[in-house]
Order: sequence, then C-alpha cells, then structure tokens
Amino acid sequence: MTAIARAWDNLTVTGKILVPLLFLVLVVAPVATVLIALFVGPWVVDVLASNLGIVRFVVAITGVLVFTIPTAFVIIYMEMKVIARMNLRIGPDRVGPYGSLMSVVHGLKFLSKEDFTPTGADVPVFTLAPVVVFLATVMTFLVVPFGPGLVAQDLNIGLLYLFAIGGMNVVGLLMAGWASFNKYSLLGGLRAAAQAVSYEIPLTLSVVGLVLLAGTLSVYQIGAAQAGWFTDWFVFRQPLGALIFLIAGTAEANRSPLDMTEADQEIVAGFATEYSGMRFAFFFFAEYVNVFVMSALIVTLFFGAWNAPFPFPDVAPALDPGSLGIGLVLLLAAAPVALTLLFAAPFYLARSSTPAWQALLLGFITFSVVAVGGLLGAAYLGLDWFAGLAWFMVKTFVFVFVFVWMRGTFPRVRIDQLMGFAWKWLLPASLLNLFVTAAAILVVEALNKAG
Amino acid sequence: MTTTTPPQHPSADDPRILLDDQIGAFEAVPPYPPRTEREAEFYSLGDGEMFLNMGPQHPSTHGVLRVVLKIDGERVVDLDPVLGYLHRGVEKLCETSDFHHIISQLDPLEYISSLFMEWAPVMAFEQLLDVQVPRRAEYIRVLTGELNRVASHALFQGWMALDLGGLTPILYSFIERDEIVEMLAAITGQRMLFNYFRIGGVNGDLNHEFMSRLGDWMSRASVQNQANTDLLNDNEIFVRRMRGIGRLDRETALRMGTTGPNIRAAGVPFDIRRAHPYSVYPELEFDIPTRGHDGGGDSLDRYLLRIDEVKQSLRIIDQCLHNMPDGPVMAGLPRLLRPRPGRAWAAVEAPRGLFGTYVISDGTDQPFRMKIHDPSFVNLQLVGLLMKGNLIADTMAVMASLDPVMGGIDK
Repeated sequence: MTAIARAWDNLTVTGKILVPLLFLVLVVAPVATVLIALFVGPWVVDVLASNLGIVRFVVAITGVLVFTIPTAFVIIYMEMKVIARMNLRIGPDRVGPYGSLMSVVHGLKFLSKEDFTPTGADVPVFTLAPVVVFLATVMTFLVVPFGPGLVAQDLNIGLLYLFAIGGMNVVGLLMAGWASFNKYSLLGGLRAAAQAVSYEIPLTLSVVGLVLLAGTLSVYQIGAAQAGWFTDWFVFRQPLGALIFLIAGTAEANRSPLDMTEADQEIVAGFATEYSGMRFAFFFFAEYVNVFVMSALIVTLFFGAWNAPFPFPDVAPALDPGSLGIGLVLLLAAAPVALTLLFAAPFYLARSSTPAWQALLLGFITFSVVAVGGLLGAAYLGLDWFAGLAWFMVKTFVFVFVFVWMRGTFPRVRIDQLMGFAWKWLLPASLLNLFVTAAAILVVEALNKAG
Repeated sequence: MTTTTPPQHPSADDPRILLDDQIGAFEAVPPYPPRTEREAEFYSLGDGEMFLNMGPQHPSTHGVLRVVLKIDGERVVDLDPVLGYLHRGVEKLCETSDFHHIISQLDPLEYISSLFMEWAPVMAFEQLLDVQVPRRAEYIRVLTGELNRVASHALFQGWMALDLGGLTPILYSFIERDEIVEMLAAITGQRMLFNYFRIGGVNGDLNHEFMSRLGDWMSRASVQNQANTDLLNDNEIFVRRMRGIGRLDRETALRMGTTGPNIRAAGVPFDIRRAHPYSVYPELEFDIPTRGHDGGGDSLDRYLLRIDEVKQSLRIIDQCLHNMPDGPVMAGLPRLLRPRPGRAWAAVEAPRGLFGTYVISDGTDQPFRMKIHDPSFVNLQLVGLLMKGNLIADTMAVMASLDPVMGGIDK
C-alpha cells in the first residue's frame, strides 16, 4: 500500500470531497485559465469588447452583490457599538479587535441555524419573501453614484427606478407577513403595507422640486449638478424637501422611531417572527443595506453626492512615474528597505535595550503606515473617483450614524400617529415645497427674460 | 344498564388535536366549552375580529402574564387576562412554615420591592406576639424601605420607556437601581430577596459600607433622577403616546379597590403611611403627591406621579438619617415563637399600593391561615376597563403604567 493510498484512507468523507476540489482549484484551474487565454483569449476579448454595455452591467451587478454584505456587516457592528455607548455599555468586545468580527460571527450563526418553516405556512411564498426583500433593496444600488464615473447604470429615469424598486420591498414584507401563518406576522405585514402607501407619496413628492431645479431624473446628473462649493448643495435650496425626505426615508427603511413593522414590544418581531436562519439573515441584511441606501440617497440628492464641500485645488502629481524608466524599478526595490532602516533607527537608538529585530519590526510597521497613507493621499490627489468615493462614504456614514442615533434615543410612535403625521403634515408640506419651488423657477425665468 | 359517557372534549394535551386539526392547535380559544357567560361572550368572534394571544412569553408582558386580545385590525375590542403561570402556592406554604421562615417565603412575591413583602407579615406577627420594636429598628426599616421604593420606581421608569420602544432609559434606570441594591446588599447580604426584617427588629445594624455608599448616592440622587426624568418628559413622542391613554377616573378607581400610585394619579390622596400610620411615619414630614385632572388620571399622570414619589422618598431618607436614634435593632425574643391564638392584620404602603397580610394563629409555631393582599393583583383588574377600544400599542403603555409584578399576582 503506497503512502498516498494510506493517506487517502485516513481521510473522512468530507476530506475525500474537499481534497480533490482543492487539487482542482490549485492545479487544474490555473492551467485551464492559461490554456483558455492562449487559445480562445483573442476571441473572448473581441466578444466582450463589442458588448461593453452587457459586460459593464454584469460586472456592476456582481460588484453590488459583493458590496452589500460588508456594508451590512459594518453598519451592524457600528449600530451595536454606538448604541452600546449611548446606553453606557461596552458593546461587543470579544471577537476580533474591539469586537469588530462580531458581525461575521452573526453571519455564521445565521448560517448554522435551523431553517424552520412553520406548520400551516404558505411554503413557496414564505421562501420567496426574503429573496424579494433582499433583491429589491440590493437593486437600488444600481443607480447610486459612488463617485464620478462610479455608477453601475446611469439610467436617465434613475429616480423613478429608485422609488419603483424601493417600493417592491414592501411587497416582500407583505408576502412574509401573510405566508408565515402567524397573527403577529400578519399585523406586521399589514402595517408595512399601510406605512409604505402613506410614506411613498411624501417621499416621492419631496424630490420633485429638486428634479425641477436639476432638470433631470438621472441620479448621477443630480449629483454632478452640485459640484463646487457646499452652498451649491441642494439642501440649501430645498431644506424642507431634505427634511421630508429624511423623515419619510426613515419610515421607508423601517427604522426606529418609525419601525412599525417589527415593533418588538407590540407585535414580537412583526413580519420576521417566524423566520430563522439564513432566511432571517436576508431580512436582517436587507434592513441594514436599506439604511445605507437611504443615507446614500440623502447624500446624493441633497448633500452634494461625491463632491467635496469646497472646490479642491487641482494638484496633479508633479512626478509622472512612467518617465522614470529603470529608475522606477530601482526606487520600488530600494525605497522600502531604506525607509524601513530610516524609521527603525530612532527606535534602536532611543532605547539601548531594544533588540535590533524589534526595532526593525517597528520601523517596518511605521514605514507601512506612512506608505499606505502616502499612497492614499496620492490617490486622493491624482484620482477623481477615489476622492469622490472617499467623500461619498464619509457623508453617507454620517447619515448612517444619524439613523443609529435616532434608534438609540427615541421611543416608537404609535401607528395612528404615524399615519396621521404622513397625511396631515408631510404630504401638505411636500406639496407646498413643490409649489413654492415651481413658482420660484417661473419667477426667476421671467426675470431673466425681462432683464 | 346504560351508561352515559360524559361528552369528550379534546384537552390541550391530546396529541390528536395536532393530528386532526393542525390549524385548530394555534387558536387562542380554550379547548373546553365556556364555563361562564362572560367566557362564552368573549370567545365568540364578531365580524372582522380575531384573537391575538399575547403571552405568556411576549417581550412586554412584565413576566408571565397571558392576555388574550380580541382585536379588530389594530383596535382592541375586548381582552381576557389569564393568570396562574407563576403560581407557587405561597399562602399554603406559609401554613407549613414557622413564623421566622414565612418572611423568606414572602420575599419573592414582588421581587422588585422585597422589603415591603417582609414588612407586612413582620408587623402582623409583632401584633400577635405583643412585641415592642426598638425605635432604631423602626427607623432602619423606614430608611431601607424607602430606598427600595426609589429602586422600584426607577425600574418602572425604565420599563415604561422600553415598552414604548425606547431602548436607552432602561439601562440608566438599572444603574440607579444597581447602586441602591448594592447598598442594601451591604447590610442585608442579598441584592434582590433581602430577607432582612425580623420579628422584633431587623437582622443587623447599619454598617460603614452601607453608610458610605448611601452618602455617595444621596449626594447625586436628585440630580441623576432629574437627568433620567428630563430624558423622557421632554420627549414629544413619549408624552403623546401616554397622554389621554388608559384614563382611570376617581369613581372607577375607588370601586375597583385600586391602591398605591395608580389611585393617587387619579386624584385620590390615599396612602397607608398617612391613612393608617404605622412604624415611625407619623414622626416624618412628607407630602402625598397626587396627579390627575378632570376627576381622573391617564398613563402620563401615573408615570409622573411615581417621579413625584421618588422625590418624597428622598426627603424621608434624609430625615431618617438625621433623626436616627441609638439603641438596639432587635427586641429580645425566644427562638421558638408561639403567639397567642388570635387574628392580626397589617398593611404597608408598597411601591405598587397596599400590601397586607391577615394572619390567624392557633397558638402553635405556625399560622393557621395566612391571607396575602397583593396590590398588583387588584390593580391588574383595571386592564380590562382601561384597554378596551385602544390600539395594540396602547395596551403596552397602559399595562406598563399600572406597573404589575407577576410574582405578586400569581402568588
């Protein structure tokens, strides 16, 4: 019996499946890739190049889907930590540095839980509901511009698409509420429907004034129209619209204090009462992705999208790396070593008891921090999209924090107060906003013609 | 010979229910025919109505209370509280324990304010035994009792906010309560079920740790109380959810035997500490705050009244510390107590109202019968009157404002 055969016998069933797979991935896949690239590569490149729109769409969809999970993880961790601080607690601090891997453990927990379907449930609808909710939320990412040029699809009816797809969210909640065969779920689903019907209207009407000002429905164009100083942001021309959008957006994202659909003190967990495992995780992720989308929309529509609050002086990197030739290679090889030694020297000289290897390690860490900082700085100065992305993320997370803050401080409103507020205050206010904006535009145009 | 078999009704334990009628197993309707007219009326559904079975495991029913709601959409048409999930048979346990043991049996009734659960039976036994309690012991009882009242009301404030969906105030409340129970633990040895009062005094004198913790806390108690209060009282959402909800008028409150903060919030200044004075309360200065308007009080009044009461408790604690006499804390008593045959009734003003015990002694070392009057049980009768016609969300606000504790209700 050879050694390989003996090792094979020692493997468990799982091992017998995993080891060949590992072999496939490590050996066969690279070889196949090289072969494909050699023989059918030119043809594939031709096909892709002639269908650039489709390629862009597929890449964008993949990117968006991949992007949602870390976003949700970060926001969940942020919420746990921020609310803990507001409650004078510490929050998660066991898994990873400062508990930062808590969300990952949450995800693993959901994966390992029983996927339970209650007796009497409408199984197909029950299964489909989380998918609908998750997809409806994720698909809104498609028109959100993360930076100049960083938009998956610049639809010319972007805003319309946003509200249409965002509204589908509620269909999923209603499906979940109905199919769970649970009265709490049913109440939660019906609340979701009532709330969505009431708050979609002021939400949509509050941006019509903005659309009149920008003259376009494309989210990307609206973002681009706010370039320049921060006074050009639409929040200063549409303050009422921004406020209505924030409130209606809170209701639309089902966030406290307007989280009627899952008011745990009243209806246990609303539509999600009977969900467990990965199906619940879809709802869970959808909620936090929704928070991100709402914050991103507020930033894009009212707070200058990716634009910095002030026009940044256009400092192109003074040195063009390409012109250095062989010098660049030498620089890349020599700079790390030289800088590591340079940064290590003070650690070594300051305390004679520091061993040389420790000083070198500290020097290397310092060099890494400086190098990453330098690269990011260079990227910020040299790359438009990077600067835009940085500003967009910073602004968006400010609003994510606002959502978390509201959850930590406010009690929940009652369902009739919620509906009354939408119809008696938000709707007239948004109509007033629209009327005043339209009138102002007419007056300004008339003045321009006369003058 | 013909035998008539009694009609077979499926019992809740019958597995056939699950096999034959799976849907039926989920209904809130009890599996037996209605026993009373009220039950028959309640368990028949009108057009568009449905039952919602809230509890015994529900995020906001304060323990294991089960309430069957008959709802029409979001509106509560009728409701039926179902008790007994925490029944321990305390009254029966008391009949088989001797007088010293009874004190610890009664501790877990209202586990948030245990000292009052010890106070009433101890007073009743002292009447039977004709014991004179030392004055220092009486002052210590009042001091610790009022501290316990502050802890209980602080917790109420947090639960109230939590039941309305506010996550944060409950943790601030627990900080305040924790300081007090740690303080009490320094002299009683326990954080929750203190078992501190004894027949003829208290178990152990005040010690240094208690006094230093108390001084620490007193120096910032009113400020902290004010801060916690401002967090909620200035909140528009909170006030709007409470104002006008669960309105209890004077006549109903008196008719239903309501006591404690709930009746004082309806405008009736009834407080056992003044109405039937006991211990050293006649020597102390404090007001009996009342709230309410137009001859009744709503949930917000009941909430605000408890905050007023905390301020009065702080006054009493302050006076106790200034007037604390020297002397023993226990009267000399034999270890085996055999009181004279007879009856005694003693009541104290617990944080939730009148807590009383009625003891019948037959001359042995165990009581012949012991009746416990619990304020939460009496106050809970109001839920049916106060919640009808409200929304489901208001059910939580009303129930939290009545502040029931299930340990005392189910006994």
